[in-house]
Amino acid sequence: MTLIETKNLWKTYTMGTEKVHALSGVTLQIQKGEYVAIMGPSGSGKSTLMNLIGCLDTPTQGDYILNGKAVNKMNDDELANIRNREIGFVFQTFNLLARATALHNVELPLIYNGSGSLDRVEKAELALKRVELTDRMLHKPSELSGGQRQRVAVARALVNDPSLILADEPTGNLDSKTSVEIMKLFDEIHRQGNTIIVVTHERDIANHAHRVISILDGKIATDEIVTEDQRRKAQ
Amino acid sequence: MIAASLLKISIQALWANKLRTGLTLLGVIIGVTSVMTIISALEGMMGAVESQLDRLGPSTFIATTIGGVATSEEQWHEMLKRKPIDIDYADDILEGCELCEKVCPRTFNSANIKYRGERLRDVFVMGSTYNLIDVVDFEVDQGHFHSREDDIYRREVVFIGETVREALFSGVDAIGKSIRLDGKKYTVVGVAKKMGSMFGQDRDKFVVIPLDVSIKQFGKPRRNSNFVIKARSVDDLDEAMDEARIVLRSLRHVPYDKPDDFILLTADAILDQLNSVTRIFRMGLVGISSISLVVGGIVVMNIMMVSVSERTREIGIRKSVGARQNHILLQFLFEALLTTLTGGLIGIVLGYIAAASLVQMIDMQISPSVFGMVAGLSISTGIGVIFGIYPAMKAARLDPIKALSYE
Repeated sequence: MTLIETKNLWKTYTMGTEKVHALSGVTLQIQKGEYVAIMGPSGSGKSTLMNLIGCLDTPTQGDYILNGKAVNKMNDDELANIRNREIGFVFQTFNLLARATALHNVELPLIYNGSGSLDRVEKAELALKRVELTDRMLHKPSELSGGQRQRVAVARALVNDPSLILADEPTGNLDSKTSVEIMKLFDEIHRQGNTIIVVTHERDIANHAHRVISILDGKIATDEIVTEDQRRKAQ
Repeated sequence: MIAASLLKISIQALWANKLRTGLTLLGVIIGVTSVMTIISALEGMMGAVESQLDRLGPSTFIATTIGGVATSEEQWHEMLKRKPIDIDYADDILEGCELCEKVCPRTFNSANIKYRGERLRDVFVMGSTYNLIDVVDFEVDQGHFHSREDDIYRREVVFIGETVREALFSGVDAIGKSIRLDGKKYTVVGVAKKMGSMFGQDRDKFVVIPLDVSIKQFGKPRRNSNFVIKARSVDDLDEAMDEARIVLRSLRHVPYDKPDDFILLTADAILDQLNSVTRIFRMGLVGISSISLVVGGIVVMNIMMVSVSERTREIGIRKSVGARQNHILLQFLFEALLTTLTGGLIGIVLGYIAAASLVQMIDMQISPSVFGMVAGLSISTGIGVIFGIYPAMKAARLDPIKALSYE
């Protein structure tokens, strides 16, 4: 079943009098349950593609269908609803609320869909259990290590049971040992049936996925399947 | 449900920034306190004047030559040139005005009073007929007001105010004692109930003597006299005043094409005039104190703006996990409203205390007014909305991508 379908996506920024094409006609399909890496050097347009797929932004031109819904025609609030229900973000810089506990950070998406507070706490505790942070639930981000912070972010991404986990350079701020841990966590989440897209510029990280899409100059350069062998090496 | 959660988030944010919240509160408190002080004090004063005028009663009016408000110098001079009202007209008015139930002429003088060794200077001496007590709301504490017979036989009897009693008869029963008004002997027949003072003026430093006795002692009054007239009922007041006007015009020979050379004043008319004369003054006071309210509002807005830009990243995070524009808007608006409402409540209490101590200096009291509280709360809510909405909208409209990458 197709989860993501983009047709000829363009994103154009106007800088002064000049028009810059961050994306020039990206067409791709991602099936439910896939584990995909999007690779590319900085300036290639991979971040722009991630923002569009993550419904943080809308394309200048082209269609984007997420889970059967035409997202490219939605307004800000409808996009917010889609982000809330369909997408779980994991960012390079964690993006946790500094003053809030791990538990409250994980609860956050549930606040905006109107869940009751008991329901919220129950779901958040469950998500934290999945990332093995049950004993750190009431710690604030400043009291957690980098790896723990990123696991809180993963729990927050999982808590609403979204159809897509979208990770933007999830290991970019972590040492190599912690990076491995986090990528193992993604592997595990994928095995449980979630669809994952990881945006990265590192081949090793990308090889955890089952499919790697390379972006160059706003276009898809290559779209390859990762072999078992390559994957084992990366792990 | 979501609104309740957002409210909780706002409270937590305010609590986490105690210093900032405290400073914002201070701005609002100063503003609301100053406005509330002025409003409460003014309302208290006007209320005191009103209750004083109520002593005149709703069916009574005063006929006089100088009174009310002169709107120009010419008018004032015209008033001064008028011939004084003749207190002998009482019977003519009563006869000519069918709807007038009682007509009570009064004279006003002042005298020094002596009882044995005690002495009281410059006491207000009112001369009136026996029916004054039915027309004006004096309350008798001891004894009685002078009677019709006292009027007819021109007895030298006197009804005294509380201040006079206190000064001359402390610890002694005043009734039946002889006092001297500018040397002339009078017998005390009654004591009035204490009225207290207003605007620093002692309203109990007076005596009342029979009208003809006062004329005998002080001479025929010129401008220092007027009539208190009571209509048969409140409904008859307007017609009674018309009838009295016709009688007075003919008695005073006013040509048909000339305006009245006298004034008929009701308690309402006096209050209206007082209101209109003091309106500009009151508006000015409220206006000046409102400046501090605007300053308070600007403090709120300023701090909200800082708060929004400081929390840009937080807004980005909230938006990325699905907060809609309205959710962000409400979160920040709640913060503004919580601050201004709390500040408003504190301001109302402080303003009331300040107003109470202010009016106490001029011997009056105020009671908490519903109007004042409603005004204070709506003013502070208004500030919260007006000065909070712009920063909140700014927050709500932030682009999530830019907000997330904000350093």
